[in-house]
Amino acid sequence: MFTTGSKFLVGAAVLATLSAIAYGVTQDGIMGTVGLGSAAVALWFLAGLNLYTRDNNYWADEIASIEQAPAAVPAPANSVWPFAFAFGAAVLAVGLVTYQAVFIIGVVLLLVSGAEWTAEAWAQSASADTGHNANVRDRIANPLEFPLAAAIGIGVVVYAFSRVMLFLSKTNTVIAFAVLGSIVIALAFFFAYRPRVPSKAAAVVIGVGALGLIAGGAAAGLSGEREIHPHETTSGLNEEGVDICTSPDEFEADLKASQSVSATAAVAATITLGSDGELSYDLNGPSAPGAVGITLPRSNPNNIIFQNRSGEPRRLSASLGTMVAEGSTNEVPVLMCTTLVDDGGAQNMTMRIDLPSITTPGGYSFFVPGVESAELNLVVP
Amino acid sequence: MNRRVRIAAAVGLAALVAGCAEDAPQDMFQPAGPNAQSIYDLSVPVFIIAGVIGVIVMVFIAIIVVKFRDRGQAIPDQVHGKPTLEIILTIIPALILIGVAIPTVGTIMALNDTSDTECVINVTGQQWWWEIDYPTQSGCGSGIDQPIITSGQMVIPIGTPVLVRGTSRDVIHSWWIPRLNGKRDMVPGRVHTNRIEADEPGIYAGQCTEFCGLSHANMRMEVIAMTPEDFEAWKLNQTKPYESPAEGTLAAKGEQTFISQCARCHQVNGLEDADGAPIVSRPDLSVYSGAAPNLTHLMTRNTFAGAAYNLLTPECRPKVWNAPSETVGAEYLKGVTPDCLNSVELREWLRNAPAKKPMYADPTKLEATDGLTRGMPNLALSEDQIDELVAYLLERH
Ligand code: HEC
Ligand SMILES: [Cu+2]
Repeated sequence: MFTTGSKFLVGAAVLATLSAIAYGVTQDGIMGTVGLGSAAVALWFLAGLNLYTRDNNYWADEIASIEQAPAAVPAPANSVWPFAFAFGAAVLAVGLVTYQAVFIIGVVLLLVSGAEWTAEAWAQSASADTGHNANVRDRIANPLEFPLAAAIGIGVVVYAFSRVMLFLSKTNTVIAFAVLGSIVIALAFFFAYRPRVPSKAAAVVIGVGALGLIAGGAAAGLSGEREIHPHETTSGLNEEGVDICTSPDEFEADLKASQSVSATAAVAATITLGSDGELSYDLNGPSAPGAVGITLPRSNPNNIIFQNRSGEPRRLSASLGTMVAEGSTNEVPVLMCTTLVDDGGAQNMTMRIDLPSITTPGGYSFFVPGVESAELNLVVP
Repeated sequence: MNRRVRIAAAVGLAALVAGCAEDAPQDMFQPAGPNAQSIYDLSVPVFIIAGVIGVIVMVFIAIIVVKFRDRGQAIPDQVHGKPTLEIILTIIPALILIGVAIPTVGTIMALNDTSDTECVINVTGQQWWWEIDYPTQSGCGSGIDQPIITSGQMVIPIGTPVLVRGTSRDVIHSWWIPRLNGKRDMVPGRVHTNRIEADEPGIYAGQCTEFCGLSHANMRMEVIAMTPEDFEAWKLNQTKPYESPAEGTLAAKGEQTFISQCARCHQVNGLEDADGAPIVSRPDLSVYSGAAPNLTHLMTRNTFAGAAYNLLTPECRPKVWNAPSETVGAEYLKGVTPDCLNSVELREWLRNAPAKKPMYADPTKLEATDGLTRGMPNLALSEDQIDELVAYLLERH
């Protein structure tokens, strides 16, 4: 006798009535009681109307119409996507007021579950056969799901591995992954030669392994990376007060240094140390005829290529005046240099100079440690 | 007349009239030197060839449309392929293209040649002005033994092939003086070259032609070509020692205001502090691009802030800009005299530079971020300070 619509309305009306009474008794507020009372009256009216018209549902009572109804369609199985979708919306809302990362997770969740839900719902209306519908869904969605899932899976594995590797010391990493690799290969052989091992067992082993990996990655990620010894650079040594730029000797920074430059066009200048021990230069265009040196714009990244044709490994250095060292009153020379360049090699040096050369008596210059005659003026206007 | 015909006529006329300009200083069809001339000599015949071909094609299309329009006639025989015709119609365009390509490639190579230039000038673009510096050299007339640095206006001697070596401090800009040569992009970290040469003394205008931000349209530049004698005089003036304003004058006050307000960004060569130590500007600590114009000889130029505004009053400007080639050099060398100073524009600039030259679309960003601004900030100077500064700047000849 109660139709769907009237059930709702009667329920709402009862709720409103009880609330009005409860509010009136506990809060002794006129306005709230009047509001809830009005809602109750309106809802009772609608409920009455609905009962009278029977939801406008002409066959609600007609047995005949039910008997003639088409065969029941199997109800679709429960779906996780509406839940995931709602969860995504909640995460998104939380993200709005907390962290951007949470917001992004919410957006992704919302999009993915929305797409999955849509595909599923669309497939459910394909036919009356649920099995067939599931196939339809898979055909549409799998080409997208599989690569995506694989990408995420690989990403997680790689990231977790990298965290573990960075956490362990250099030697331990090698040992740990040699052992791990052996275990993986051994297991693979085992499963390959024992095809009768139930696939469930394999799944359990892989699942446990994956969990272990993620847990290990998370633990290692949280406890940070091992100390990594940075490769020395000429500028770094320079800052530490090591006189690399005035020394012709080999430093750690000089080991494995690049000996060639791939892009050589349109640099500010190419400076060459010849076998005669002289520095010559080539500007892009003619050297300003009779120039007393190279002129470079101030506060600008200028690319200089140093070519060594002297027969010995050499570095190009630039003397850029002096400055007062931080935390002291000592004037220290400002220097900049390439690493050692082998004979026949070349290296790029990017120089940004913020003070004009007039600030230094004698100006700026390029020089080559160990080669007295190699000197070239540098003008920064 | 039918409405469509009338609209077509109006559009055609508008397009035609748009090509007319009485005063077009940036006209590549008025070449003023050999580099621009070679571009002109290439583009005119290519344009004629392309135009004739265009007309022939259009006429053919018109004939076919009219003659073979659907009058209910039977569909003609459909033939597939006509090798002779197809080969001819492939070979003829190929020959035409080869004919165009040979002089084009030749011209491009000639314009890229840098071996015969006799004067080297560096230009550095930044938002939104060009810095111009003359490296020390024996070229550029009698040679340059002390670097010269200026902005917005490049002075060159006539009849001298000049090599512009350009780069940029921030984004890509493009250097183009249409009457002297084609354009060249100036790219951070790279040095690109552009040769220019002027036959006659004159002022040749150009502007940045690579969109580089909000005030791209206000990033202009001029090349001022003058006789070798005038050029020597200009050089001499650019390297003359600094003179402090006479004591007790408004300009002397201006010098102090300049030191306190402006010298952190703007270099004035020779300016010294109370202890006699040279004052060195550090625009790299105040401006994104790391540079601000050198104001040592501001009043020897007649435009400012990316050559976008005039230092000369509207009455005085034509005397220089429209001067015949015999006198333009001398007129330019006079610089900005007190009675010709366009104090309105200069004062507007000092009062609130970003209001004159847009630097941020979002006004809340005008405040310095990390101590850096784009372009010159509003320094909130008092009118008295502005008076002093104008008096001081007016002496920067
Ligand atoms: C924060 C750095 C900064 C300070 C401080 C500063 N300026 Fe500027 N100024 C600039 C920059 C950058 C430009 C170039 C702006 C442009 O053209 O878009 C400029 C341009 C100019 C120009 C035009 C120069 C030319 O050659 O085109 C003048 C004149 C000028 N400033 C005067 C002053 C004076 C006077 C003061 C002191 C009251 C001052 N400036 C303070 C950064 C600064
Ligand atoms: Cu620009």
